[in-house]
Amino acid sequence: MGRNDSIILRNVTKEYKRAEFRIPVLVDLDLSVEEGEFLALMGPSGSGKTTLLNLIAGLDRPTKGEVIVHGQDIGEMSESRVTRWRADNVGFIFQLYNLIPVLTAFENVELPLLLTKLSKKRRRENVMTALRIVGLAGREDHSPRQLSGGQEQRVAIARAIVTDPYLLVADEPTGDLDRTSAGEILGLLEQLNREFKKTIVMVTHDPIAAQRASRLLHLDKGQLVRDVVQDQQPRIGAAS
Amino acid sequence: MRFLTYILRNARRNPIRSILTIASTAISLFLMMILVSFFTINDDVSRDSRAYNRVITLSSTGFSGVVPIARVNEITTMDGVVAATPFSWYGGKYNNETMPFAQFGVNPESFFKIYDEFTIPQAQLKAWQDDKAGAVIGRKLAEDRGLKLNDPLPLEGDLYPYPLKLTIRGIYDGPSNRDRRMCLFNWLYLDDGLKLSTAQRSGNAGAVVIKCKSGDLMPSICKKIDSQYLNSDTPTRTQTEEAFSKIFMEMLGDLKGMMRNIGLAVCFSLVLVAGNAMAMALRERTTEVAVLKAIGFNKQLILFLILAEAMIVAGIGGLMGTIGTKFLFDVFDLSKFTAGFLPLFFIPWSTALAGLAVSLLIGFASGFVPAVRAAQISVVNGLRKVV
Repeated sequence: MGRNDSIILRNVTKEYKRAEFRIPVLVDLDLSVEEGEFLALMGPSGSGKTTLLNLIAGLDRPTKGEVIVHGQDIGEMSESRVTRWRADNVGFIFQLYNLIPVLTAFENVELPLLLTKLSKKRRRENVMTALRIVGLAGREDHSPRQLSGGQEQRVAIARAIVTDPYLLVADEPTGDLDRTSAGEILGLLEQLNREFKKTIVMVTHDPIAAQRASRLLHLDKGQLVRDVVQDQQPRIGAAS
Repeated sequence: MRFLTYILRNARRNPIRSILTIASTAISLFLMMILVSFFTINDDVSRDSRAYNRVITLSSTGFSGVVPIARVNEITTMDGVVAATPFSWYGGKYNNETMPFAQFGVNPESFFKIYDEFTIPQAQLKAWQDDKAGAVIGRKLAEDRGLKLNDPLPLEGDLYPYPLKLTIRGIYDGPSNRDRRMCLFNWLYLDDGLKLSTAQRSGNAGAVVIKCKSGDLMPSICKKIDSQYLNSDTPTRTQTEEAFSKIFMEMLGDLKGMMRNIGLAVCFSLVLVAGNAMAMALRERTTEVAVLKAIGFNKQLILFLILAEAMIVAGIGGLMGTIGTKFLFDVFDLSKFTAGFLPLFFIPWSTALAGLAVSLLIGFASGFVPAVRAAQISVVNGLRKVV
């Protein structure tokens, strides 16, 4: 593990219970992600990509093992503490954007800031900054249904970055977009990673999207089978 | 306050559903306000009447019995009595109206000494006392019918086979919680007429209203009157004005208890209606709730947001059904259509505010289960619905 590792998973196993059956989704997984990395997770359906993403983002807890993010074992945190931790440290980007349809773009982006003690003026400044970064300045009063899919995803990204979190997690962020919009969104993620030093973990099925990440992980049957630093040799061998 | 926009937008997210929930709450509370106010006003008026130190003598057999007119003078001479008057319900029709007003035969010399909360100009009182066929009417009645001094007021009797050709000689006024829709005429005018026609129903005072010198004396005067006539042909039953007005409520049976049960059933059904609407709304928003939780909204905040939304929807219905109803009946005077049986009708503030509180409780109760369920939604499961 490198010195700047900010996400560390040690012997992580995640099982789901279905009636009397235990279904393993991740098995004894070890992983470290350096600060400022743009990581793409790929693999077939059911390979454990989203489960891994949920564990890293503090949405779920491992059945066994440790998930340490920025020095904190989030698997050990109480539910209220991990909720607060997510608000401070993680920005979420979903495949279907998941904006609140009754709120404007501005209000959607402002939502995470309502949990802070920022004044209305500071909230406004932060929201406008986030919207400017994603290229939607001037569209703040539009409701989600007045925006294209790509624009909606930009609003979702603005919502994810408005609190200036350390980590961005994206679950199929381009899965519902056309090629052009997907390219724009990936460009935006690259920009956030490069210019704003955000650590990004992205689940994708799209090899073209995965190519934009600095590191690519392949999962299969709950195990890491390939770890590639892009344009470099694989860190561990292919599943072989 | 910072979440108000979010709460209000959600409350009107499905306008038809919200409007139906609001309307069902408003209409139910509108009806409840009318029924509850009926009892509240009656209780208030009964209680307020204590201050006037009046007792009322009826026949021991009730309203259908006879109280001989001679009793009025006999009672007047008793110790502790200020004045007494016959108080005889005439029940006539005015211009063939199907919903007339209350008319009573009284003693013009003593009436305003007994009902001293009413006021009448001295000249008008004198004119009434000097004209046996004269009448005084309440200010509200005069305003309702456009009646003024010296207007003829012909009444066709239903109970008594003798029509009254009255002339308005005075208009009385009084506190807003007292009956200002009565028509008062000289009892002797009716009695003289009855003697001339059939004479079968003459000499009956109907009831005797007695003003006592003090409230302390009322129990002893009641006892004294009733014991004096106990062994006569026409035994009496004397009671305070407060107890007398409660007779009407007693005649309705346990209507109050019935109303309470109906009220509880209405509230319960409103909780189910509003609760179902909230549950449907939240089922549609499972993913949204999961997203809110993902970005840092904790359980307590989710619970608060949903309860606030449910209470706002029910509260708007409550506001319309309670405060709205109060203002409606402040403008629209229902009592003028009750033929004198309901001399006052309004929604007291206490009743309206209690109704509003009930609507908020309905909102809370209806939102509680959906709110708890939403607060407990697992983020992973909630997001899995679409992701």
